[in-house]
Amino acid sequence: MYSRRAQLLKCAFPIVKTHGFTREALARSALSLPEPHPEPLSEAAVSALFGDGDHARRTLINAWLDDARLQMRSAPSPVIKDVLSTRLRCNEPVLGYLPEACNAYALLVSPTSGLPPVDPRPVLHHAAHVADEACHVVGDTSIAWYARRASVAAIYTAAELHQLTSPKTAYEFLESLLHSSQRVESAIHDVGTYSNYIGRSWAGLIKSSGIF
Amino acid sequence: MLSRTAGRRACRSFSSLKQVRLNHNQPQNAQDNARTTHFGFQTVPEETKESLVRNVFDSVASSYDLMNDAMSLGVHRLWKDEYIALLKPGAKGPVKCIDVAGGTGDIALRILDSARERYADRETSVDVVDINTEMLKEGYKRFKKTMYHNTSQIAFHEGNAQALNEEKFPSNTYDLYTIAFGIRNCTSVPDVLKEAYRVLKPGGTFACLEFSRVNNPLFGALYDQYSFSVIPLIGTILTGDRASYQYLVESIRKFPPQPEFAKMIADAGFTTGGMFEGKGGAWRDLWGGIASIHTGVKV
Repeated sequence: MYSRRAQLLKCAFPIVKTHGFTREALARSALSLPEPHPEPLSEAAVSALFGDGDHARRTLINAWLDDARLQMRSAPSPVIKDVLSTRLRCNEPVLGYLPEACNAYALLVSPTSGLPPVDPRPVLHHAAHVADEACHVVGDTSIAWYARRASVAAIYTAAELHQLTSPKTAYEFLESLLHSSQRVESAIHDVGTYSNYIGRSWAGLIKSSGIF
Repeated sequence: MLSRTAGRRACRSFSSLKQVRLNHNQPQNAQDNARTTHFGFQTVPEETKESLVRNVFDSVASSYDLMNDAMSLGVHRLWKDEYIALLKPGAKGPVKCIDVAGGTGDIALRILDSARERYADRETSVDVVDINTEMLKEGYKRFKKTMYHNTSQIAFHEGNAQALNEEKFPSNTYDLYTIAFGIRNCTSVPDVLKEAYRVLKPGGTFACLEFSRVNNPLFGALYDQYSFSVIPLIGTILTGDRASYQYLVESIRKFPPQPEFAKMIADAGFTTGGMFEGKGGAWRDLWGGIASIHTGVKV
């Protein structure tokens, strides 16, 4: 019967657009079941299923983040830009509630973690999960596993922050970030090649001078 | 004095039990295939458990609350308060509750007080059900001292949690089903859960407060010492009734551990939280698992 809980959470997602990540959204999820209830769930029922107080909201936020991450798999093409754009598109209907949700989420986890004033780990976790999913969807098997994921996570976080203040330009911003990162990546690669070349030249010079 | 007489009566019934006592390690003959259940650490025929439990509670009824205070050092009050705080009766308007095995009425009183004091709700009502008339009499007496006496907010019924009368307790009637420290005394826990599911409305909540398993082995050892040495001794001193309190302690050890009971709740058709302890989980431990609150929703 655990799957019924997941079903209720899924029914709550569309309600988030109007009620935010709240206990009320969870209570109203019962009205959207295939066999709808005549009235929303009681406080006791919401607490029993999803946790009491603000922990129910945390359950809803977590479930929503998981669902949005899964939707990245339905990107039109398996390239990093499209996959991250798909994820950003998931934010659009609930954009107004996201800052408050992030805030609430961070505050919810902070007191238990003992990291004052606000624990940054949930945000880092979120970005890392998105980056990992994106790399998985595009089939990235590069050797620089951590570096690749770190750069994708940084790009996505910047794009998401940009989206909160300027939703319309977020996709262009994402594209420009990806482009810049490619340039940086190729510059780093060029610097590596050049250094290698210089090193070899010096080695040749030293060898030919007969010092060793 | 009354309790001493009752205590002796319970002890007598215990001694007669020895004739039907079976050893758990003993292989049973084909003749012994009659359905059995546990009564504390004893194995008894299913049909006798009900009357044995009735004897126990007959004998402890008059001093039940005093003994609870003595045994738990008053902690049961904190647990019951936490239980009600979790359920928030009346938070979203009046609710119709059924408190099963709630004879002495302390859960019912907490529900009504919480609804009135926190949410100004005077319409929430509780039907108290107990198999034991002595316990119900105690509850009735307690409620006579309150403002709820003779109102539609409270009613006392004699009834068996495993087979609630369908006329008196129709299906899909209640918003909240509570059972505190009662379910372990029932012969068949799945039957109780089935009845709970039947009487609850869709969206109704089942909540059970019950003694459970301590998770920390060191704390568990201390708790065992206290349970088996101190509690029956307190029973002897305060009520002259060791046997009944010995049963209460033993019955706690025979009750299934938290994950197993949570699965039984799910098997009865209830939707539960995740199969873990804590907020958002199917159960919440109190004081390291001495007691726990299990919840489920009829979705």
